[in-house]
Amino acid sequence: MTVANTTREQVLDRIRKATSSVATGPSQLNEQYTAIPRPYVRKGALHGAAKQALLMERLRDYEAEVAESTQDNLGQAIGSMLAARDAGVLAVPGGVPPAWKIPQVDWRIDQGLSNAEIEKVDGVLTGAFCAIADSGTIVLHHTSCEGRRALTLLPDWHLCILFASQVVETLPEYFERARPAPKLVTWISGPSATADIEMTRIKGVHGPRQLSVILVNDEE
Amino acid sequence: MSQLAEHPVLDPAKAPPFPQAALPVLHNPQLRKNVAHAVDVIQLKRARLVAEKTDWQELRSAAAAIRTHTLENLDKYLEQFEARCTAAGGRVHWASDASEARRIILDILREDDARQVIKIKTMTSAEIQLNPFLESEGVKVFETDLAEIILQLGNEEPSHIVVPALHINRSQVREIFAKSMGRPELTDDPRELTAAARNYLRSKFLDIPTAISGANYLIADTGGVAIVESEGNGRMCLTLPKTLITLAGIEKVLPRFEDLEVMLQVLARSATGERMNPYTSLWNGVVPGDGPQNFHVVLLDNGRSSILAKTKERQTLRCIRCAACMNSCPVYRQTGGHAYGSVYPGPIGAILTPQLMQMRFAQSLPYASSLCGACYEVCPVKINIPEVLLELRSQVISQEKRSLRRLFDPLYLGLRAAGVIFSRAWIFRAAQRFGRIGAGLFTRKDGWIHSLPSIGGKWTQTRDLRGFPDKTFREWWRERAAHSSRESK
Repeated sequence: MTVANTTREQVLDRIRKATSSVATGPSQLNEQYTAIPRPYVRKGALHGAAKQALLMERLRDYEAEVAESTQDNLGQAIGSMLAARDAGVLAVPGGVPPAWKIPQVDWRIDQGLSNAEIEKVDGVLTGAFCAIADSGTIVLHHTSCEGRRALTLLPDWHLCILFASQVVETLPEYFERARPAPKLVTWISGPSATADIEMTRIKGVHGPRQLSVILVNDEE
Repeated sequence: MSQLAEHPVLDPAKAPPFPQAALPVLHNPQLRKNVAHAVDVIQLKRARLVAEKTDWQELRSAAAAIRTHTLENLDKYLEQFEARCTAAGGRVHWASDASEARRIILDILREDDARQVIKIKTMTSAEIQLNPFLESEGVKVFETDLAEIILQLGNEEPSHIVVPALHINRSQVREIFAKSMGRPELTDDPRELTAAARNYLRSKFLDIPTAISGANYLIADTGGVAIVESEGNGRMCLTLPKTLITLAGIEKVLPRFEDLEVMLQVLARSATGERMNPYTSLWNGVVPGDGPQNFHVVLLDNGRSSILAKTKERQTLRCIRCAACMNSCPVYRQTGGHAYGSVYPGPIGAILTPQLMQMRFAQSLPYASSLCGACYEVCPVKINIPEVLLELRSQVISQEKRSLRRLFDPLYLGLRAAGVIFSRAWIFRAAQRFGRIGAGLFTRKDGWIHSLPSIGGKWTQTRDLRGFPDKTFREWWRERAAHSSRESK
């Protein structure tokens, strides 16, 4: 530990010497930080259907599957998604609303599922914290409705339920909502992909190879 | 594998000078084709998505300002990061140089009795030559990024910082995979090759309890770490193991969580030409019940603090490793990455590598540029690379001036001779006469010199030189004056 401590002091000392002519005093640090000009777009211009349309377009651009639903028809929408894939066994985080767990499906509720058990399911159904239309990004803060990270990582199919009220247009709008800062975040923009071989985009490497979203209209 | 470049050593201390290292590539049409194809595709995608952003220049300015402010106050932000990360259950280590970082990582692995590790792509680990060190200490390393698997199994070195295997085409990847995975039936369909990598790694993700990663950003106000990726191999390594070791350069810190609203917007567009990369993960220390319960961060200096001390060069450390500069560079396009003799190739490598080496090695790299400025134009954090290149060139010259070698170096002999010649008019006139006679020997009938011997060859290797005219301007002027005065009489 003593060795580590001396290295720490040495490195910090070198940094302090190197920046002595430009560094601010600790008391002015916040002030200087706040003074950084941020002239970029913070608030989007789209509302309602237009904002949702942009999100859907961007998600489809990543080859994610997107369906729309009303609140009343959500059960049906989930049912037809599962039927289309012949998916009968699904993992869900403990905190999803009971209405999402439609009958005639083998729901594996995550109360400490092992990795091997998660691997075996046909897919996973979760909610989300937020979605960003501009970049087609779904944000998970891994709360009880979004599940721990392994749950949305190991299955080959991720079905995510999003509400229109959760959709923001720009990334800065998300950061305004994400206060206080979360301890765990996964930003998901389409299914996993690679372009490492001759820049040919291949969908689906290690994360879920398929991503589906049901966008529920909960706004007027 | 005969088509690939000879296995290069990406150690700036051992690498040959850039012009020499570039030659084999210039004579390898397959390699040049692979590189040109890759950078063309990325540039096209980047240009389309940058054009879509109405506030691109504003985002660049903000990104540059955030990075500048952070570097100027780096000690305070690093201490803040350390305190918050430690409070969240992480353990922070400091490493002065590569060997100290390697030793810290090995000690952590020994503590866990770890014989195998899975790794997320990290150029910083390549900088400290971590893999060969761990292998020599009996730890088996499994790279998990597709490009890194190709390199590891093919015994190749990275040639780009975002798509490190861009110099290898699909049939070469097939050859590597067929041989090393024992799967001769594989075709060269990228889809099939990607699936082969997935199968190869699946059990390793589930079974190996120790992972090593780099970091895209360290967040000072939360103690969090963010990693940006595409394939999901990152999420696997960050989620499934019991122990995670993150190696990060000291410059990787950002003041606040919300600074990501700028950095994430500029990074994906610049790096891969996407609106957003498929996956970005962020975690604060240890989160009970989710992910590794044993988390270490190794903060690496390795020459960075010496860069910080210099006003013009400090901007080098703003870099967020997007590689837009190399994609846009006309020199990189021709030579690929290996010629730079460093894990950091291209324009950013040309300024970063010699500085990380504290100007003791890689002095040829600041000259590996035409100073066209394309790199500066695309840089999302506005690093004025040409300005730093020029500054480093002047440092190389001052170094050479101090060395004894200059007494015998033909270039310096020539420059000293020129100094004498230009100091007196009569010497200059005499030199012109001798020069005309000398150059006459090499001037062809078309009036051009196509090849010169010795040091002059450096010029004529790549361009032709006009032969000396029959008379100098002064001679012509005198004759003309004499002629016209005769006529007027």
